[in-house]
Amino acid sequence: MTETASAPDAVGEETVAAAEKKAGPSSWDARILAFACHFCAFAAADLAGIMRLSYSPNVRIIRLPCTGTLDHSYVLRAFERGVDGVFVAG
Amino acid sequence: MKEDREQIGSVVIVGAGVGGMQAALDLADSGFMVHLVSRDSAVGGTMAMLDKTFPTGDCAMCMLAPRMVESSRHPNIRIHTLAEVTAISGVAGNYTLTVNRKARYVDPARCTGCAICEKKCPVKVPGEFDQGLARRKAIFTLFPQAVPHTRAIDPEHCLYLTKGRCRACEKACDAGAINFEDSPQQFSIKAGAVLLFPGLEPYDPTVLQELGYNRWKNVVTSLQFERILSASGPFGGEIKRPSDSRHPKKIAWIQCVGSRDPHNANPWCSSVCCMYATKQAVIAKEHDAEVVPTIFYSELRTFGKDFDRYAARAAEQYGVRYVRSMVSAVYEEAGTGDLFMRYVDKDGRMVDESFDLVVLSIGMQPRKDAREFAEIFDISVDAHGFPRTSRLSPVETSRPGIFVGGTYQGPKDIPETVVQGSAAAAAAMEILDRSRGREVKEVTLVPEKETGAEEPRVGVFVCHCGINIAGTVDVKKVAAKAAEQKGVVHAQTVIYACAPDGQERIKDLIREKGLNRVVVAACTPRTHEPLFQDTIREAGLNKHLFELADIREQCAWCHMGQNEIATEKAVDIVDMGIAKARLLKEIKPRSVPVTHAAMVIGGGIAGMTAALSLAEQGFRVHIVEKEARLGGLAAGLLQTLEGENIRDMVRRKNLQIDDHPAITVHVGTEVNKTEGFVGNFTSTLNDNSEISHGVVVVATGGNEYVPVEYGYGESDKVMTQRQLERMLTVKRLQPEDSFVMIQCVGSREEPHNYCYRICCQDAIKNAIAIKEKVPSAQVTILYRDIRTYGLREDYYTRARDLGVRFVRYEVDAKPQVTADGSRFRILAYDPVLEQEIILPADYLVLSTGLRPRPGNRKLGEIYKLTRNEDGYFLEAHVKLRPVEFASEGFFVAGLAHGPKTIDETMSQALAAAGRAGEVLSQKELAASGIIAKHDREKCMSCLACFRACPYGSPFIDEDGRVSHNEVKCTGCGICATLCPAKAFQINGFQDNQITAMIDSLTEGWVAGRHTAKTRTEQKDDRNCKCS
Repeated sequence: MTETASAPDAVGEETVAAAEKKAGPSSWDARILAFACHFCAFAAADLAGIMRLSYSPNVRIIRLPCTGTLDHSYVLRAFERGVDGVFVAG
Repeated sequence: MKEDREQIGSVVIVGAGVGGMQAALDLADSGFMVHLVSRDSAVGGTMAMLDKTFPTGDCAMCMLAPRMVESSRHPNIRIHTLAEVTAISGVAGNYTLTVNRKARYVDPARCTGCAICEKKCPVKVPGEFDQGLARRKAIFTLFPQAVPHTRAIDPEHCLYLTKGRCRACEKACDAGAINFEDSPQQFSIKAGAVLLFPGLEPYDPTVLQELGYNRWKNVVTSLQFERILSASGPFGGEIKRPSDSRHPKKIAWIQCVGSRDPHNANPWCSSVCCMYATKQAVIAKEHDAEVVPTIFYSELRTFGKDFDRYAARAAEQYGVRYVRSMVSAVYEEAGTGDLFMRYVDKDGRMVDESFDLVVLSIGMQPRKDAREFAEIFDISVDAHGFPRTSRLSPVETSRPGIFVGGTYQGPKDIPETVVQGSAAAAAAMEILDRSRGREVKEVTLVPEKETGAEEPRVGVFVCHCGINIAGTVDVKKVAAKAAEQKGVVHAQTVIYACAPDGQERIKDLIREKGLNRVVVAACTPRTHEPLFQDTIREAGLNKHLFELADIREQCAWCHMGQNEIATEKAVDIVDMGIAKARLLKEIKPRSVPVTHAAMVIGGGIAGMTAALSLAEQGFRVHIVEKEARLGGLAAGLLQTLEGENIRDMVRRKNLQIDDHPAITVHVGTEVNKTEGFVGNFTSTLNDNSEISHGVVVVATGGNEYVPVEYGYGESDKVMTQRQLERMLTVKRLQPEDSFVMIQCVGSREEPHNYCYRICCQDAIKNAIAIKEKVPSAQVTILYRDIRTYGLREDYYTRARDLGVRFVRYEVDAKPQVTADGSRFRILAYDPVLEQEIILPADYLVLSTGLRPRPGNRKLGEIYKLTRNEDGYFLEAHVKLRPVEFASEGFFVAGLAHGPKTIDETMSQALAAAGRAGEVLSQKELAASGIIAKHDREKCMSCLACFRACPYGSPFIDEDGRVSHNEVKCTGCGICATLCPAKAFQINGFQDNQITAMIDSLTEGWVAGRHTAKTRTEQKDDRNCKCS
């Protein structure tokens, strides 16, 4: 963020500034789609539950047999349809 | 051993750590019924306590948990927890064991693992699993990921069981799983073989009072430090010290605590502490860059594959300071909790240094009851209480049909334990060759319905899981929302979907409503998907027409108290599941027949051992040996360090192979090419003979290093240890003969910066032989670190007692040898005396190691098998798959894999035979369901998949186009993402299915169908408030 803002890129500066004005970074509630490997990251998400660790509810997880299966089209599709961030863990 | 009495096709395994589980899975997959008996309330053993593992830094639990789950749900494995074998009768092939099971007071059939009971329990006691650093309740599981997850009540601390009041857990348990009436039970099991893997006991350093354990709060054991590092440990993975929870900066490790100390503790070397201390120092540094780690050691025993380089990296990249010094005492500074240590530095000065935390690298020892344990099974033990085994038959005990392994057999690390797990399984399979498949039941199922042409008719079952889910998520609302989804013809809630009545309900509704897709919204697919898949299969549906939506672990349990938000998230998760379910297709895995024969490449001791084991297990074996005779390097050896006759053993194995009708030996040959895949290979040898086989065991051995150092070859009095061993059998020594041995010749330096494991013991073996023959002869060993790991330490002690002199040298000040007439003059710098010393010698003996065979490169190319930078073959996983290659159907044993001793080679050869036998025992090999499907019509044969696939499953077929071998495929999906034509799709994870999930999610979640505020609405709210 800082980098984009300090870069001599008028459009970037404008976008960042506009976004900050609209929502303010502290209250902004990103919607994140995670793609998780069945064997590790998905297991880690399970463990978080087992240990009753709380985290932001604004994450949804799609299980993959391996992050090798992650097609670029999934990522593009997710952004195209409005998610704010994609998290790949595997 | 193979008398024709009734042979039982079951095996009892005592101990459910990583070794026991490995043996259990191997045997269960090979058609044997396994009873896994564990003293603890859960499986996992010591490895479950570890944070990360060396040298790869892999998370121990991440590797172990899938195995624990697999063991618990394998149809051929019965786990008996809180149980011990108390008696055994019978003979090999037909034993009867008496097992005592303690009361658990919780019914596994009802317990859902929700842990509400644990929350309500008022009793807190120091937790064994966290090594006393955290407290647990009186109703508990050993650790969060415990398998089985059923809680157990500790009767010594439970208020109701000790004082007759409380029962808080019973009141809290909606599932009615608490059973205070539970009582100990005794039952008997019949088994053909018994495998003992009871594991180790950590050394308790309290007795070494000078080190201050249990006296100074900030002195912890290395096992405690593992728990401190662990994310699921007492401090959540933050490095804190016990006294004040401050983050320690200066951390010291003291090595050999309780090990290599015959006077106050155990005489043996525990084999793993140098490496785990290095690992802990590295991980600590990774956790907190300000940590300054120091390791106090006397000998750095980083002898394993890639271990020396790991230690070098620890020093260079992580700044781990290694101090070769014994620490005499640890004192606490009053008030601060800091610790002072007094030691002698390398310049001989006494130094006092302060540390924030001190970690004692404790060793391993046999369990306290090891002798009684051995008595129950009537097996002999050695002087230390370890079971007596031979270096030449490392997993056999004194009693036929009873096998041992892991840290019970002797101190060792995880891969060697896993190797012995597979080795002991192979040994059991050898004696039970006729009873394979006898005790396991084959299930006959109703025929599968064809649903391909039907419209999706989805049934959704939302599980309350008592109040686990329903307490946070409004399950009725989730079911109601699900009912609105396209294709859903039925949606309801169930109290416990996994309970027998819940499953019956699902089956009834499949029949009643004609459901052809089922979504269960409950717990994690990692543990429960197979259960529900079986349920729908029993109702006639293909098991892949199922989707499990995880709304417990990944929703209810992590958003407790946020009911509205959790309900919305659950609705999304279920909707995604439904969207995917609508597009699920039946999967019918293809299966191929198996050629029940093995090709073993290499006829050294590894190849011979593997071949004989496979033949005894009942399979045909072809040994392909380049030389004119079998035996390999072992044929040139006389005896082991322990004095066992290697030459006799090689001769015996040769005769057995000659006599064995199932073994064909192809001497003087090499493999020219191999075609096919696991279960179905055809190889052509250079004599044009053709072999059909189902597996390949690579046992190509290694070469002895021929030294160029120290004038070798210029005089016959400069020799290698192997030459000295032979000379000692023929030559009469003179009373005044003097020998100087130089260690690490051609090793532990770039470009061969690794330890050969064998040279220290070879030197000590020969030194002892000289001193025993002629006590007045002088023997001096110039060494860098003496690495007589494990029980071999006894011989290091013996050599010193016999008067063998050990003089250390440093790598940058190597000994200088000059000829002095017929004798030698060796100039060495002794870093302890800090001066040069001159040693005259009649014989100069070079301790040389091994080199990988140059032929490994070609073999690696033929089979696409990778080698490490030193030229040794790389196993599929350094910890848990030490004898397999990543490519299915290929196994490795012996020096081809890396330097090792003869007993380690034999263990590994047996293990390879066991793992290979597991493949060969199958009638046919079925591809897993979740694999890539290849559409030949769409494929343009661009070869992107062919190049990228790590398993070699795409191949060029007879038409010159790409085809796909589903048996080799693991479903990793790399091909699917690379393929520009989208000709590959992963079963159960097709592009359209994943896209449907994304679309479903974004429709509800992002586009704001929910009642909770969307982002725009939130913004509007804020605007409202502002105005």
